[in-house]
Amino acid sequence: MSTNQIKVDALVVGGGISGMQTALDLGDQGYKVAVVERKSSIGGKMIDLSKVFPTLDCCSCITTPKMSATAHHDNITLLTYSEIESINRDGNGFKVQATKKPRYVREDDCTGCRSCELVCPLEVSEDEHEFGRTSHRVVYVPFSTAVPQKALVDLDHCLFCGKCIQACPSDAIDFTQQPEPVEIETRSIVLATGFETTPINAKKEYGAGKLRNVISGMMMERLLAPTGPYGRVLRPSDGKMPASIAYVQCAGSRDQTLGVPYCSRVCCMYAIKQAMLLSGALPLAEITIYYMDIRTFGKGYEQFYQNAKAMGVEFLKGKVARITEDENQNPIVRVELIDEFGKTRVTERQHDLVVLSVGLLPGGNPQPKFGVPVGEDGFVQVPDYNVFPAVTSQPGIFVTGAAAGPMDIVDSIMMAGAAASSAASYLEAGNGSRKEAQRQPERSVEYA
Amino acid sequence: MTTNEEKKKRTEMLVEMRKERRETVQRAQELLKAQQSARKALERALTGGPHSVPQLAQAVNMPAHEALWHIAAMKKYGIVAEAGTDESGDYYLYRLVKEA
Ligand SMILES: Cc1cc2nc3c(=O)[nH]c(=O)nc-3n(C[C@H](O)[C@H](O)[C@H](O)COP(=O)(O)OP(=O)(O)OC[C@H]3O[C@@H](n4cnc5c(N)ncnc54)[C@H](O)[C@@H]3O)c2cc1C
Ligand code: SF4
Ligand code: SF4
Repeated sequence: MSTNQIKVDALVVGGGISGMQTALDLGDQGYKVAVVERKSSIGGKMIDLSKVFPTLDCCSCITTPKMSATAHHDNITLLTYSEIESINRDGNGFKVQATKKPRYVREDDCTGCRSCELVCPLEVSEDEHEFGRTSHRVVYVPFSTAVPQKALVDLDHCLFCGKCIQACPSDAIDFTQQPEPVEIETRSIVLATGFETTPINAKKEYGAGKLRNVISGMMMERLLAPTGPYGRVLRPSDGKMPASIAYVQCAGSRDQTLGVPYCSRVCCMYAIKQAMLLSGALPLAEITIYYMDIRTFGKGYEQFYQNAKAMGVEFLKGKVARITEDENQNPIVRVELIDEFGKTRVTERQHDLVVLSVGLLPGGNPQPKFGVPVGEDGFVQVPDYNVFPAVTSQPGIFVTGAAAGPMDIVDSIMMAGAAASSAASYLEAGNGSRKEAQRQPERSVEYA
Repeated sequence: MTTNEEKKKRTEMLVEMRKERRETVQRAQELLKAQQSARKALERALTGGPHSVPQLAQAVNMPAHEALWHIAAMKKYGIVAEAGTDESGDYYLYRLVKEA
């Protein structure tokens, strides 16, 4: 089989907000960029969020144009549903082997019309974005704003009934598709691999993921998003509109028992944001936030917190020891409350729904493939963070966004600018000038 | 236009795929059977009028969280729609779309 070859100035690994912004910043300066994203769509975690703190702007409205700009940029080649296999230094740059996983749908032919999806007879749990709360068909377009808008087949559930083939007006379904090797020659690499969240079953004290009405902050984002599984906030055990919702802060951060000593930075703010959005969605609901400290570090964040208090969100200082449930699957929170004089009192409170403000964990270890060491916290190590926040210890390899440590969207976007300019300086200084790059036609993208 | 020859080749390919992946296909077929019977039962219950998730769960003898999963999926694919809330105001009611 012939190998597709791409020649670029920068390879961005990960198509979340920080990867997209880095690619756009470099692409706008005239550099040729390849973005490799392992999922079937770019957008990262941000495309799954409801609204963003502290402005409460619609998340999809901000992310979708960036996704589209990345996909349509003349200087950016986008490889979705692809994995990096290996990286080797090659003179001044890198030779990267990647694999494009088979969608069983020819991307060039698919128009995203969803005719295949509508005739496919079997539905399976939608796990990637909706935590199994709803379904997708065996052949499906991942979500309504996915980029690219292309279908894929979950071959492990396919009946091979051929209905999709008959329905497809573009003759795009191809069950014979194989993994496609892609060779990327690049002069620099930017790691934008993001983060994962603490698994919902991490803490047995909090029900070990077995209590249906104890969900994670990310699941609540989906319940609050208009595109979410129910289109409204309902509790998973029985579809009840919750009248009492509680947040447990630091559920997976600042917790030595989980080996996560650090603060995940965004959880206080996303809990406050969700509490405000819930006040709007369920005006009669009581919302409680159990916290040890509230950290509102950014511009306008403290005011945001004060606004939430003024709206009636109850902030209770205390440590949640345990969560159990009653016979109606209502979560019972056992908490040691701390009053303003420091006196403690243990109490149990019943809620309809509990949200764990789960922390941010490293998305993966880049050491084996990229040779980039990680710090004690498991995130990509940045040797001189105060001076060069996006420069790793490996020459030519840069890092951006939550791959470097927990951070919010504003910081991820700023860091993308830093990564793009560090990469650009590196390209200008050590690896031939940009003018040269423009003069050499062979540096342009060759993807055949 | 798809020629007869192409159609024949496609059918052969599908037969071949089904043979090659016999086990996964069998599992998928079982899943399909269970899903179709659950959907039929839910639709039958809904022909009697709008139901909430706990009402449906009781009517078809299914855990409420499973009934909610089916309702979410059926709503996504346009088979059911919301029809206001129940008397308590705690639960949404769902109706069949084709009934309307
Ligand atoms: C519940 C919750 C709510 C939040 N709400 C807000 C908010 O309101 N406002 C705010 O500012 N921030 C919020 N955040 C934080 C925000 O999600 C992050 O700041 C942002 O997503 C970081 O973007 P990123 O691109 O660095 O990482 P990600 O969004 O994680 O993107 C990384 C991308 O890289 C891909 N990838 C990973 N590894 C590989 C690999 N090896 N090869 C190829 N691709 C790979 C992933 O699939 C993903 O698409 C919230 C976070 C959570 C958990
Ligand atoms: S062949 Fe597979 S993907 Fe296509 S309609 Fe049948 S079950 Fe769905
Ligand atoms: S595979 Fe065909 S039917 Fe399915 S979305 Fe693409 S073009 Fe439409």
